[in-house]
Amino acid sequence: MASEDGTCGHPPGHAAAAPPDWNAAPAAGAGCGDPEEDPWFQCCVCLELLYKPVVIGKTCGHMSCFWCVHKAMHFIRESHCAVCRQAYKHFPSICQLLHHLLIKLEPVEYKRREKEVLEDEKRVDTYSPQIIEFLNSKNNNYEIDGENKPEESKRQSPEESSSDGNTVSEHLKKVKLEDVSCALCKELLYRPAVLNCGHVYCMSCLPSLDDGTLKCQVCGSVHPGNFPNVCLDLDHFLEEYFSAEYELRREKVQLMKGETNREGSSSGTSCKDGRGRPSNKENCAGQDNLSDVHIGVGCDSCGVFPIRGKRYKCKDCTELIGFDLCEACYNTKSKLPGRFNQQHTPDHRMELDDSLLVSSVGS
Amino acid sequence: MVDVSRVQKELTECNRDREVSGVSIALHDGSTISHLTGTIAGPLGTPYEGGTFLIDIRLPGGYPFEPPKMQFITKVWHPNISSQSGAICLDILKDQWSPALTLKTALLSLQALLSAPAPDDPQDAVVAQQYLRDYSTFSATARYWTEAFAKSTSTGMEEKVQKLVEMGFPEDMVRSVLKSVNGDENMALEKLCSG
Repeated sequence: MASEDGTCGHPPGHAAAAPPDWNAAPAAGAGCGDPEEDPWFQCCVCLELLYKPVVIGKTCGHMSCFWCVHKAMHFIRESHCAVCRQAYKHFPSICQLLHHLLIKLEPVEYKRREKEVLEDEKRVDTYSPQIIEFLNSKNNNYEIDGENKPEESKRQSPEESSSDGNTVSEHLKKVKLEDVSCALCKELLYRPAVLNCGHVYCMSCLPSLDDGTLKCQVCGSVHPGNFPNVCLDLDHFLEEYFSAEYELRREKVQLMKGETNREGSSSGTSCKDGRGRPSNKENCAGQDNLSDVHIGVGCDSCGVFPIRGKRYKCKDCTELIGFDLCEACYNTKSKLPGRFNQQHTPDHRMELDDSLLVSSVGS
Repeated sequence: MVDVSRVQKELTECNRDREVSGVSIALHDGSTISHLTGTIAGPLGTPYEGGTFLIDIRLPGGYPFEPPKMQFITKVWHPNISSQSGAICLDILKDQWSPALTLKTALLSLQALLSAPAPDDPQDAVVAQQYLRDYSTFSATARYWTEAFAKSTSTGMEEKVQKLVEMGFPEDMVRSVLKSVNGDENMALEKLCSG
């Protein structure tokens, strides 16, 4: 009697019944359950403290650990955010600001995570970028007790900032204002958005980077697609941790914007609506025909995953994961380091590679 | 290669508020963390009210990047659950799985599925037909199945054990088989004879 035909379409309605924050995303942040019990910055995939956090800035601003994002990406099609299911195509770079913030905020736990992840990486002989450790040692000495006294002046924001703010409690804070400042305005991040390259800006600062393409001022990378969304986990953290300064920033930004953008309205969406670029043709083109997809091969420069069309593979990189570029990045002579700590240099030889092309692998 | 630390966290988290949520998870037999048994309380105001439903949970090596395999152990009359095998038709257990979901949220979704069947995407065509054409009969059958298979059978348990032991089966085996079929005497006998 019962049919075991397996032709069922799986009732979709019930997905909504899953986590309570499911439909509220992205407003609910990476919501991993009860906010009262969860610590700041828990990865919603491994349920541990985020390690080398990656923010899917392109669409939703949700974040996970480097490996948690990478392992969840689809090998052939576009990937979907684990929290809100929005589609994205680029594996974003590690957000170094968050990385450093977590080192200061949770020094012991972060160190433990570092060891743990390194063990896993050794097992598969593939490593996440180590360069950030190097940058870190240059900028900050990170001590396990987390009580590093500020050598530099704490007074950071030049102009308006909180001269009468709470400079007293600042002594006690592990995270300083300068650790969480916008790459453009250099003030405390207000409604922070993370670009594909991992650099963080105030939402209100992004339009000044926009001259047809959204180009990062720090590294020069072009952010693919529309304006990113606010990274709400970081935003909520800043709002609570630096409440006085955050309030000042809110007032200032809103003053600049005039009456238009009241608190509570989503500047993320309004930016998208107002200035969104027509990335739709890219999104829809050839969605059904997957023959030009290189299975599980991502571009080490822009992060597109998987690569479609021409794939250039490095002949000289010896790492297991290899070093690959998409056609666009190959043509721009990208000099970015690999995304998995490959020791690639610009003098390495690149060649076209079709070995993992769907049309040559599949049937 | 199951992420053991995550699964352990999930178990703790899920069982912490089992009274409120009505769902809980236990190791199937203690030897491996990749085989679990979930329990969900039948939702109030449905034909499943008052029942306790056991779910067999197997975690594939890729968990949580692959969905857990779930199947009802307790027999249940529902359009999206096979009345024969307990196979479940639910998108989040297939292509709509996301690594941010957990065993707890999946069990809560099953609970929601019990409250709100989707007969247009049936797993069990016979049940779905009945649901659409003759809801009152469906409802009565589902309630009867809940009474028969999903109600606590602990009172009669000792009698059943005794009965089966008298048939010549070893007692420990009888108890474990009875437990695995949620106290269904006939199914236990069938299992004991076949295996």
